[in-house]
Amino acid sequence: MDNLTRRKFLVGGGALALSPLVVSRAFAQGKTIKIGAVYPLTGNLASTGLDCKRGVELAVEIINGKYDLNLPLARTEGIPGLGGARLEVVWADTKGEPKNGQAEAERVITQDQVVGVIGAYQSSVTKTASQATERLKVPYVCSDSSSPTLTERGLRYFFRVSPHDGIFSHDQFRFLKDLEAQKKQKVQTLGVLYENTEFGSNVGKEELKYAQEYGYKVVADISYTNNATDVTSEVGRLIKANPDVLLHASYITDAILFTKTFKEMGFNPKGMLTMAGYIEPGYLPAIKADGNFIIVRSTFALDLAKKKPLVGQVADLFKKKFGIEMSENAARSFMAPFVLAEAISRAKSVEAEAIVKALRETNIPGDQVIYPWKGIQFDPKTQQNVHATGTLVQIQDQQYVTVWPFESAAKDVVWPFPAWKSRK
Amino acid sequence: MADQLLQQIVNSLLIGSVYALVAIGLTLIWGVMNVLNFAHGDFLMLGMFTAFWCYTLFKMDPLFSIPVCAAVLFLLGVGIYRFIVSKVMKGPGLAQLVVTFGVSIFLANLAVMLWTPDFRLIEKPLLSGTWSLGSVQLSIPKFAASVGSVLVSAAVFFFLKRTRTGKAILAVEMNRDAALLMGINTERINSLSFGIGSALVGIAGAFLSMYYYIHPQVGGLFGLISFCIVALGGFGSIEGAFIAGILIGLVQTLGGYFFDPAYKYALVFLVYLITVWIRPQGLMG
Amino acid sequence: MGVRTFTKRQVSVSAAVLVLLALYPLAVRGSFPMHLMIMVFLFAMLGVSWNIMGGYAGMFSFGQAAFFGIGAYTSSFLLTAYHVNPWIGLLAGGVVAALAAALIGIPCSNLRGHYFAIASIAFAEIVRIHFNNWKLIGAAEGLTIPMQDESLRNFMFHSSKAPYYYIMLGFLILSLGVCSWVTTSRMGFYLRAIKEGHDVAKVLGIDVVRYRMAAIMISAFLTAMAGTFYAQYILYLDPESVLILPISVQIVLVAMLGGAGSVMGPVIGAAILLPISEVTRVKLGFKGSGLDMIIYGTLIMLISVYQPQGVWGFLQKIGRKKR
Repeated sequence: MDNLTRRKFLVGGGALALSPLVVSRAFAQGKTIKIGAVYPLTGNLASTGLDCKRGVELAVEIINGKYDLNLPLARTEGIPGLGGARLEVVWADTKGEPKNGQAEAERVITQDQVVGVIGAYQSSVTKTASQATERLKVPYVCSDSSSPTLTERGLRYFFRVSPHDGIFSHDQFRFLKDLEAQKKQKVQTLGVLYENTEFGSNVGKEELKYAQEYGYKVVADISYTNNATDVTSEVGRLIKANPDVLLHASYITDAILFTKTFKEMGFNPKGMLTMAGYIEPGYLPAIKADGNFIIVRSTFALDLAKKKPLVGQVADLFKKKFGIEMSENAARSFMAPFVLAEAISRAKSVEAEAIVKALRETNIPGDQVIYPWKGIQFDPKTQQNVHATGTLVQIQDQQYVTVWPFESAAKDVVWPFPAWKSRK
Repeated sequence: MADQLLQQIVNSLLIGSVYALVAIGLTLIWGVMNVLNFAHGDFLMLGMFTAFWCYTLFKMDPLFSIPVCAAVLFLLGVGIYRFIVSKVMKGPGLAQLVVTFGVSIFLANLAVMLWTPDFRLIEKPLLSGTWSLGSVQLSIPKFAASVGSVLVSAAVFFFLKRTRTGKAILAVEMNRDAALLMGINTERINSLSFGIGSALVGIAGAFLSMYYYIHPQVGGLFGLISFCIVALGGFGSIEGAFIAGILIGLVQTLGGYFFDPAYKYALVFLVYLITVWIRPQGLMG
Repeated sequence: MGVRTFTKRQVSVSAAVLVLLALYPLAVRGSFPMHLMIMVFLFAMLGVSWNIMGGYAGMFSFGQAAFFGIGAYTSSFLLTAYHVNPWIGLLAGGVVAALAAALIGIPCSNLRGHYFAIASIAFAEIVRIHFNNWKLIGAAEGLTIPMQDESLRNFMFHSSKAPYYYIMLGFLILSLGVCSWVTTSRMGFYLRAIKEGHDVAKVLGIDVVRYRMAAIMISAFLTAMAGTFYAQYILYLDPESVLILPISVQIVLVAMLGGAGSVMGPVIGAAILLPISEVTRVKLGFKGSGLDMIIYGTLIMLISVYQPQGVWGFLQKIGRKKR
C-alpha cells in the first residue's frame, strides 16, 4: 500500500500495469499447515461472519494445543500425522459477495499456499468459492452453508459436514407428524413464509414439496423481500389465511420485524416453526420475551450438555475465551477445521489428492462431535455427511431449549403457541 | 376480508406518514441547494442510534430524546454542509452527486466500527402495545410516530410560509441570485436548510426507534424510497413530499397485500417511473 | 482527448503501455494479481461505457448494474437452457440490454440531473427485484454455468487466468475504440451540446431524444458485454452479485475518479480505485471493523472535494504546465 500511494501516476496505463505488483508477496512455508477461512467479515452479514470466525478460532486453538476433550486431535499438540505441525488460519473477507468468494479462495490458495479451505456461511458465496477450489484442485470442507444445491453439483473436492435445508425442512415435517402421533395435537393447514433470496426460496421449495408429501394443506405461500421497511401486508395475508402452523425462513432483520408485527397485529397460529434468523445471536437480545415459544431448527443447543458433556466443556471454553455464549453459527463453523485437520493427519500429507482420499474415508464417531449426530461420514456420491440431522429448539424463558427429537428433548414442547394477548 | 382491507389502509397511513417526514427533510435540502443527499438514510440511522444511546445511557425515552436527536442531527447536517457539501457546490454536477455517496459509506461503516453490527431495539419504550378498535389493531408507538410526523411536517410548512427565516429559505429555493440581490445571506440559508433537513430526519429516527430495529445498515431502503418520494412529489415541494409519502405507503402496503409481497418495492419504483414519465416535474413541481 | 488527433508522444506512450500490459501475466505469480487486473479492466470497461452516456451526454446513470446483469443473465440463460455458445450469447446480451435501455430511455429521455439519476436507480431496482423472483432464470438461486472443457470457443479457462486477462483487455480496448469514435463523431459533438444546454440544443435543431437514446443504447450494449464476461469468469451469477446498487455506484466512481468526459479517465479511475478497495479488503477486512470501507468512503469525499475533475484532469493540468 505504501508503495502504491508513493508511486507517481505519470502515465495512467503504466500505473495500471504496475499497481498490483506490490500486492503480491510470497509467503515462506514453515512448520505450519495453512488453511483458508472465507467468511463475510465486513458488510451486512459481518456480525454473523464474526460469530463463525470465533468458532473456527476456538477449534484451531484446540487442535494446536493440548486439551482433555474427546474431539479429534484435541489431546495432541498440532497435527500428529505431520509430526505435530501447527494449523494456521488465513482469514479472507468476502464482504458477503459471491465474486469475492471466488477471488479470496483463489488468493489464499495461490498466494498463501493453503492446503484446504473452509467457510463461507452464505451458500451463494460458498458456490463460487468451491468452484474456485475445484478448478485449483484444493479440498473444501464446509460446515456452515445450508443450500441443498451445494452438494448436488458433483464436485470432487467439496465436502459438507452440516445438514442442508432439505434435511432441516424434512425435520420440521417429521416433528409435526410426531406431534400429532405422540402429543395428540391436530395440524391441518400450513402457512409457508420465506424471504426471497437463495436461502429462503430454497427452503420454501422444500417445504412446499414436503407439505404435499405429508398431506398438509398450504393455505398461504408468501415470499417477501428480506430487508423490508414494513411487513404489515405480509402479516395481513397470513391473518386472512389463518394457518394452523407457520413455517418461516428468514434472516435476522426480517425475523425481528416479523416477530414484532405478529404481536402487534395479533397473528396467533398454533405453532411457529422457523429457521436461521430466529437463532442468530442478535435475535434474542433484541426481541427478548416476545421470542418465547417460537420453534427454530438448529444443529446445536447449549442444553445438549446434559446428555453430552463434551458440549458443555466446549461451550465453557468458548465463553472463557470470548466472553459470550457459544451460538449456533459458531458451533457449526467449529467443526470444519477438525474434519479437515483430522483428514490431513491420516493422510500424513498436505497433497490435495491424499487429503481428498482421507476425507472420503472420514469416520468420526458421534461422541466426538458437538451435535446430536451419529458421527461424520461422507456419502461417496454427494460428499454430504450422511449422519447430519437437525434438532428443533424452542425459545422458553428466552433460552433455546431442545424439544425435538422428543427422545433427546431437554424440556417438553409448549404447544399450542399461547396467544399474544394472553401473555403478560 | 373487509377487516383486513381497513387494517391495511391504516397500516399504509402509519408507514406513509413516517416516510413523508423522512422525505421532507430530503426535499428541503434538494430544493434549496439542488443537492441530492444520498447519505439521508444514514442520517436516519444516526437519529435512531442517538435515541438508542439516550435510552441506554441516560434512561431517556425516545419520546423525550426527540429534541436531542434533532439537535445532534442538526449539528451533523451543518457540519457536513460546511466541510464537505459546500466545497463541491461549485464543482461539476457529478461530484455533487457522488460526494454524498462517500458520506453514506463513511457513516454506515463508522457506525459498524463504533457500535458493532449488532441489532438493537429499545426494550421498553414508554409507548407500547396495541389498541383494538373493532377489528383494526392499532400499534400505539406506530400511531404516535405517525401523528408526530404529521405535526412536525405541518410545523415545517408553517415555519417556511410564516417566519422571516422560512420565507428567506423559500426565496433562495425559488431564485438564488435574486435572493442574493435582496440581501439574503444564501450561504447561511444553505447551511441552515441542510441542518433543518437533517434535524427532521433525526426526529423521524427517534420516532422509528420506538418500534423498529436499530442497525448500521438500517437506512438503506428508507433512503432509496425517500428519493422516489421526493422526486414524485416534485422538486423541493413540502406538500408534494407529504402527499407522495402517503401515496407510496399505500402502494407498498396494498400492493404487498393484494398483489405480491415480493414485488411491493418494485411497485413503488414502477409508480415513480410512470409518474415522472407523464409529469417529469413530479406531482406538485 | 476529444477531437484532436494523436501526437507522436501519445502513440509511443500507448504502445509502451500495451506492451507492458501484454507482458504482465508473464511477470506475476499467483492468481490474485491476475484477478485484480481483470477486475481493473472490467470496471474500466464499465466506466468507459458509463462515460458515453454520463460523461459526454450528462445522463448520470446510477443503474448500470441493470445492463450488466441483463448481459450476464442473457448469455448464461441461453447457455444453460439452450446450449447457445457464450460468444453468441455475448451479442444477444448486448442486444437485449440495448432494447431494455430503449425501453427505459423513452420515459427518461426528458429527465435531467437528479431526476435521471433517481429514475435509473428505480429502473435497476425493478430489474433486480424481478430477476430475483423470476423462476425461469433461476430466481434468487441464480444460474450456475456448467464447467466445460477449457477453450476459447467455450469462453472458459481453468488452468490459467491469462486467457481471461487477454480477452478482457481486448474488450476494454474495443470499448475505448467505440468511445473515442463516439466522441470524435458528430454524435459526440451533439451529445456535449445537449449536456451543456438541453434547451439550447433543442432550439438548435438537434434531435435531443434520438441522440440521448443512441448514447444509452451503446452504453448498455458495452455494459452487457462486460456482464457476459463476468458470468463466464465467475461461472455463477445471482441477482445479488450482478444487479445491486453498489455495483452501479462503483461504476460511476470509477468514471468520476478518473475523469468523466475523457476517454482514458475511467481506465485510470479503475486502476486506482479497484486496487485500493481490493487491497484494503484483503489487509483490513478480516478484522471486521469496517475500517476498509471507512477509508473507501473518505477517499470518495476527498476526491469529490479536491479533485472533482478527476485524476485525468489533474494529469492534464500538470502536462500543460510542463509544456
